[in-house]
Amino acid sequence: MLKEFTKGIFKENPIFVIVLGLCPVLAVSTKVINAIGMSAGVIFVLLGSNIFVSMLKNYIPDKVRIPAYIVIIASFVTIVQMVMEAYAPSLYKSLGVYVPLIVVNCIILGRAEAFAKKNTIKASILDALGMGIGFTLALLLISLIREVLGAGTITIFPIGSFSGVIKIPVLVDEPIRVFGLSAGALLVIGFLKAFFNWYSEFKGARS
Amino acid sequence: MNDIVKIGSRLAIICAVAAVVLGLANAVTEPKITIMKKMKLEKSLEQVSKGMKIGKFTPVKDSPVVKGYYPLTDKADKRSGYICKLTGNGYGGDLDIIAGISVKGKILAVILLEDDETPGLGKQAEHASYMTKYIGTGEDKPVPVRKTQLSQKDADAVTGASITFMGIGKALAAGSSYVKKLGGE
Repeated sequence: MLKEFTKGIFKENPIFVIVLGLCPVLAVSTKVINAIGMSAGVIFVLLGSNIFVSMLKNYIPDKVRIPAYIVIIASFVTIVQMVMEAYAPSLYKSLGVYVPLIVVNCIILGRAEAFAKKNTIKASILDALGMGIGFTLALLLISLIREVLGAGTITIFPIGSFSGVIKIPVLVDEPIRVFGLSAGALLVIGFLKAFFNWYSEFKGARS
Repeated sequence: MNDIVKIGSRLAIICAVAAVVLGLANAVTEPKITIMKKMKLEKSLEQVSKGMKIGKFTPVKDSPVVKGYYPLTDKADKRSGYICKLTGNGYGGDLDIIAGISVKGKILAVILLEDDETPGLGKQAEHASYMTKYIGTGEDKPVPVRKTQLSQKDADAVTGASITFMGIGKALAAGSSYVKKLGGE
């Protein structure tokens, strides 16, 4: 059962291995705080949709399973959107159109269709958590590289007198701006994907 | 036939349950969102008024861009300008803008209130520094609506988000013209 949880983190990482949900990853990975907010939203929706799809798998007729999954996923996304707008407005503003777009994030529908509809609620929860954490780690890594190189900062939550922005000496004055743009996102994801491919082959060859 | 009814009714039940859950979530979050929007509008009006007294809101129905205005008066109670609520066309949809404009049509201050622009590109317009390219235009100098009207540095800054830049520029130009027509009345 533990395998269902751990597979999403590395072996079947949704970004670097399955290559799902890249559009929001490219768009929101300009700041670490965006990655944290987006990941929290995706984990919540993934968990909620996996639980409900698994729970209702015998009730939902096969012919209308995709519309039914979309209704379930869209409901969770709308709840995330409302809660974020009410309690984290700056994050909501920063993520913009990518919060409602979680509805069409391939990871969510992909896991409902490929896993939750065939498995128990317990296994679906572990799958959602594993995939969600895998997505989070990938998004955090990409956004950390992009923000450090592209802006010379690391933006997290403000706490007390701390503004939430850590400035990296030298880079903050002379950042490599391309990493903040779309081209930089593609470059970073490409190199990380290449590293994952190499590591998987290296590990396979050794074993 | 029975099969279609069964399938349809099950999907309808799922939709109905989802609607009820969303209604409850809306009931919890909506009051908080309304209060925050009101506070944000008040704060933004204060910022674009530049210390002048803000009058009562007048809605405008004959313009697709200008949604209404608040008159501004100086310390001597003389009409010194207007705060216009404007709607521009952005890349991701409508851009809700408020702008302080002098009676002669000069843009004094601009804030982008609501938008659905792309993070990292069009969303840069939410920063106060983005609006400096429009400030001071509208009276002697036209409001910039094309990149060729900008300095090289400003043109580079809007690269990748030209539609947002033009959307704000055109809305401000329309606001400036509308205020000129009002003529301080």
